[in-house]
Amino acid sequence: MFENIPILSILLVLPFIGALIAFMLNSNPKMSKIVALVFSGIPLALASLMMFDMVQQGYDFSTFSYNESYIWIEQLGISFTLGVDGISAPMVWLTTLSVFLAILFSWDVEKRTASYMALMLILEVGVLGVFMALDYFMFYVFWEIVLIPMFFLIAIWGGPRRDYASIKFFIYTHVASLFMLLGIFALYFEAAGDLGYYTFDMAAIATVSGDFAIMFQTLVFGLLFFGFIVKMPMVPFHTWLPDAHVEAPTAGSVLLAGLLLKMGSYGIIRIAMPTLPGAWDIDAGALTNSWFPGMTNWQIIMVILGVLSMLYGAVMCIAQKDIKKMVAYSSISHMGGVLLAFATFTEIGLAAGVFMMFAHGLITAVLFMMAGVIQHKTGTRMIPRLGGLAAKMPKASVFIMIGFMASLGLPGLVGFIAEFGIFTATYNAFGWLLLVPIISVALTAAYYIWAMQRVLFGPVTKDIDLEHLHDVSWYETAPLAAFVGFIVLFGLWPALILDFIVPAVGKILVGVF
Amino acid sequence: MDYTWLFQLAWIIPILPLISFLIVGFLGAKFSDKGGMIAIALVGAAMALSLAIAYAALTGGLPSHGAEGAYYTDTIDWVVLGSGFTLSIGIFIDTLTALMLIVVSFVATLVVIYSIGYMGEEGDRRRRYFTEISLFVGVMLGLVLASSFSLLFIFWELVGLCSYLLIGFWFERPSAASAAKKAFLVTRVGDVMFMIGLFILFNLFGTLNYVEMFDPEVLTEVDQSLLTWGCFFMFGGAIGKSAQFPLHDWLPDAMEGPTTVSALIHAATMVKAGVYLVARMFPLLVHSYEWLPLFIAVIGVVTALMAATMALNSPNIKRVLAYSTISQLGFMFLGLGTGAYLFAVGIYEEGSLGYSAAMFHLMNHAFFKALLFLSAGAVIHFVHTEEMSKMGGLRKYMPITSIVMLLGAISIAGIPPLSGFWSKDELLAVVQSAGSDNWVFYLLYAMGVCAAFMTAFYMFRMWFKTFTGPEGEATKHAAAHMAHDDHGHKEMEHAKPGKIKEHTPAVMTVPLMLLAVLAVFSGMAALFFFGTPFYGIIFFEEPIVETGAEILENVFTAWTTYLSIAVAAGGIGLAYLAFYKKSIDVDAFVNRPAVKPLYNMLLARYGFTKGYDWVGVKAVYGFSLVLDWFDLHVIDGIVNGLARGTAKAGRGLRRVQTGFVQTYAGVVVGGAVLMMLLGYFILVLLGVVRPW
Amino acid sequence: MSVEFTTGIPLSWFLLVSATLFTIGVIGILVKRNAIVILMSIELMLNAANINFVAFSAYYDLPMGQVFAMFSIGLAAAEAAVGLAILLNLNRLKDTVHVDDLNIMRW
Repeated sequence: MFENIPILSILLVLPFIGALIAFMLNSNPKMSKIVALVFSGIPLALASLMMFDMVQQGYDFSTFSYNESYIWIEQLGISFTLGVDGISAPMVWLTTLSVFLAILFSWDVEKRTASYMALMLILEVGVLGVFMALDYFMFYVFWEIVLIPMFFLIAIWGGPRRDYASIKFFIYTHVASLFMLLGIFALYFEAAGDLGYYTFDMAAIATVSGDFAIMFQTLVFGLLFFGFIVKMPMVPFHTWLPDAHVEAPTAGSVLLAGLLLKMGSYGIIRIAMPTLPGAWDIDAGALTNSWFPGMTNWQIIMVILGVLSMLYGAVMCIAQKDIKKMVAYSSISHMGGVLLAFATFTEIGLAAGVFMMFAHGLITAVLFMMAGVIQHKTGTRMIPRLGGLAAKMPKASVFIMIGFMASLGLPGLVGFIAEFGIFTATYNAFGWLLLVPIISVALTAAYYIWAMQRVLFGPVTKDIDLEHLHDVSWYETAPLAAFVGFIVLFGLWPALILDFIVPAVGKILVGVF
Repeated sequence: MDYTWLFQLAWIIPILPLISFLIVGFLGAKFSDKGGMIAIALVGAAMALSLAIAYAALTGGLPSHGAEGAYYTDTIDWVVLGSGFTLSIGIFIDTLTALMLIVVSFVATLVVIYSIGYMGEEGDRRRRYFTEISLFVGVMLGLVLASSFSLLFIFWELVGLCSYLLIGFWFERPSAASAAKKAFLVTRVGDVMFMIGLFILFNLFGTLNYVEMFDPEVLTEVDQSLLTWGCFFMFGGAIGKSAQFPLHDWLPDAMEGPTTVSALIHAATMVKAGVYLVARMFPLLVHSYEWLPLFIAVIGVVTALMAATMALNSPNIKRVLAYSTISQLGFMFLGLGTGAYLFAVGIYEEGSLGYSAAMFHLMNHAFFKALLFLSAGAVIHFVHTEEMSKMGGLRKYMPITSIVMLLGAISIAGIPPLSGFWSKDELLAVVQSAGSDNWVFYLLYAMGVCAAFMTAFYMFRMWFKTFTGPEGEATKHAAAHMAHDDHGHKEMEHAKPGKIKEHTPAVMTVPLMLLAVLAVFSGMAALFFFGTPFYGIIFFEEPIVETGAEILENVFTAWTTYLSIAVAAGGIGLAYLAFYKKSIDVDAFVNRPAVKPLYNMLLARYGFTKGYDWVGVKAVYGFSLVLDWFDLHVIDGIVNGLARGTAKAGRGLRRVQTGFVQTYAGVVVGGAVLMMLLGYFILVLLGVVRPW
Repeated sequence: MSVEFTTGIPLSWFLLVSATLFTIGVIGILVKRNAIVILMSIELMLNAANINFVAFSAYYDLPMGQVFAMFSIGLAAAEAAVGLAILLNLNRLKDTVHVDDLNIMRW
């Protein structure tokens, strides 16, 4: 279907054009919303078609399809290279879906609507670029582009402490990405020595990077890894996330948790792991730890950070009073699971980790949207002030319940397979260590069920304005229903996505980019 | 006869109630009865198909697989996460499945019918009720039909969800919301253990399908230690779900749900899932180390005894039944554990009997406990209270209910020839016989007999307090209300004293009577009426084909039988004396200084409720608050401290900017000179320029 | 490459004069209080540069340096015009041309 069409470039350009148009429609907010919806809807349709096409054409998901490469700055070896494989294709689709539904969900934004819509579209460009770029320079550029719209979304449309939160978000992720940039430059110059020419091309660098000195690989892995885990974010570099989430507008939170966090874990599996096998792969000569023979140093760090984040995030959730903050910490907990899954360096672990990224993107969107709905309808997000919503907002309560249940890993919903796979891989790789991270399963249930009891059940509290309490509106119901539908669909039929992911992760383990 | 075509349809069984779930859930508000009829129709259809399949399975219609027994299975791959991780879904039918299908589908259908009457006053909420109960029936049937432990776990979690939703049906009541939370979280602790067990076994076998795991060749090859630990953790799941010590405390609280829910989920079916799980993994258990079956038996008997003691003085009619359920489930685990132990040490015949007796008890218990709960539901429906102290004298107003409940009580107490007798007696006999191999079982037997005595006592205490004696305030109130109603609607005929009729609607009494028939006859029917007795059908590995006459002879020549009957009669007699004749002053007895603390300890459930709260509120929540403080002040403190430090440095350094152009120019000149000197110095160092 | 000056004065003498002038200009900028004197000092520095241009131009016999000197003189004139205009305005606004009184470019 797309043999002669540069589909990936179109995916990138369309939202960008939409953003330009939306910016210019400052005087006509209604029109800007429609423009944003159209220019995010078409990419969604195209991405869906692309997924179908990949299956239909029988593409090998372990290699990159729809490759495009244009020379950009020849002297420096920078080219505009795009491509998707089984890992990035689901993420691209998730991005287009989330942005489209987030824009629909923001139908009631009244403050500077045109700019808001334009920034959402720019964000889409950035995230899509990160997921599709096959050139380090482009990857970095898109990585930084993402920061800007999100910064403004928080700083302009955010809550009372938006200045603090937006600047914290920006500085944190920007400083982290500088480390990543340093790592990229190290790879660039080191690879040039072996290749004989300067290039930022990921695939070209990956062909030689496996032979770099082990110490060099270990250190560069650390630089990239640091850049990525701050974005994920892993404890103890996580405190920007709860603040950013609490202050961000609802749609901003949806995209922040649903997409931006995935950029971090995506970077690990797309760049750090296949490019630098010498940092983690014993067969490639990675340094092992004398205390835990059979485990490489970076593997140990990944396990510790992953398990720590899982438990820390889960325990923090129990203490939270703000629903949004609770969901933010639960994101940390779940992303910790992703890191733990990656740390197993097994096919099952990587597949489960990537699937968790995908699942978490869907689930967390519902959770943040519902937090937004509650805030919008009742005027507060504080759990102790809420109560008895199930009687007043039955539809909303069903959505909350499904979201919570999916997040705590109820079978039949999308989170279960991811969680099950992660723990299976953990046991297969580390044995009895499983007993530590699995505590988070019980803790996760605890905070969701307890929150549900306090928010949905019990008598209606006096703090809520009963007169004006409506159930969800149409522009809220539609995206929520869509997300919930996908949560159920991929929960019952995970093969739809796993068939993309599983063939693609095997190559990572053998150090093939 | 070839029943394969029938077994191939088995996947439809769980689908039917799930269709009802979807229809009622999305369109229920459009029906005048809020979807009740649809639920009945589809659950009934599932029952019809279940019974047909169970009949086919129990009459030898299952394809035989030689040494592995007879079963039918059909699976498809569902999730593939790389090599070594394939989860499949499908159906597995053997005689155990058939038994569970009968129990679940039959009780579920009766309960749904009964609900039409019981939930009649709930208005629009009935839609939610029938939605959730349909979902429950569907996933429960899926649980028993599942072809692998992974699929079983999936349904296991989903029945837990339904249990949660239905316990919290009246969610405005804080107590109901709290009970729902407790039920979910406590069983979740068990589920975590279940998951650990699954991961261990998955790694060990490379699959979780029953058929591949139960292959005798595989079982003898796998690491026995890991197998044992895997089964141990799986049993942890069973402890949570079946409310065994020490995770039992959620079940009494679960009585906050509608009584129909208690009958179906928390007595007849879902709590049996733990027993079913242990029965399902019996082939694994018999290859484990011996301590694990013994452990299961000990947990079972401890639970049986402990729950029975708590039932002795509970003032709440539903709580008595809840403790009783926990206690009876303990008996089942005792039977399974003993059976597996005997297998593990090589005594196959008795071991097989332990397994069969436990399953037999499971079936009988489902019938008589559902009967008891639904009868209690009828009582509560009438008097609108659950406190037995406010009841009393109800026999006059509810003759049918009182009789069927009496039958249930006799059955559970273990008086022949009602069903409870056959299974409980057989179960205890197996435990006693196991004593010849390990003396511990004599102790377990003694504890089991004690629990059986208490069972008889507390059931009849409940019955006497509810239906006999002086009328309590709730009874009077209800009677007045009823009389008023009858005056309003009908002629005077019902007002005549002595001619008061059952007030419960027929839609409720008919299921009760059907269950009463089963509670009386299910034991005998299974043993004598079919060609092959129960023990010959529900077997593990070697079938023991005894004829009915042989069984009778075996049963009534053993001293254990007479001991069982004696303790049952003793318990009933004691209750009769204390609560009907009142020849024993109960109040004076419990107020004795030696007894009072014990009495209060039982009311406080041995402190487990407080213990759970301590873990939840003090330990976990307290720790989370500490961590929250740490996050806010230490981690964020460092972050914000860095930011403040930078800002402070900026404030200090900006003093350099004097605002005088000449200062700036001076700095520029000085800088330029410095740079030149530096450059010169470097050049000298490099040897480019010679200093002169 | 040895190009002789027709005058016979060595190049270093020109550079010495230029450096002296430049230093006087720098010192003038740094120490003088009156803005007009500072402007004059800047002119001195420019002229020091001009001398260098012309000297090297003559030394290497390249006309480029003289062209630059012409440019520089033109620039200096323009700069003086702008500078004086600023000073006039400053005088009108603040009633002073002493730079000590002007420190609004502070933090």
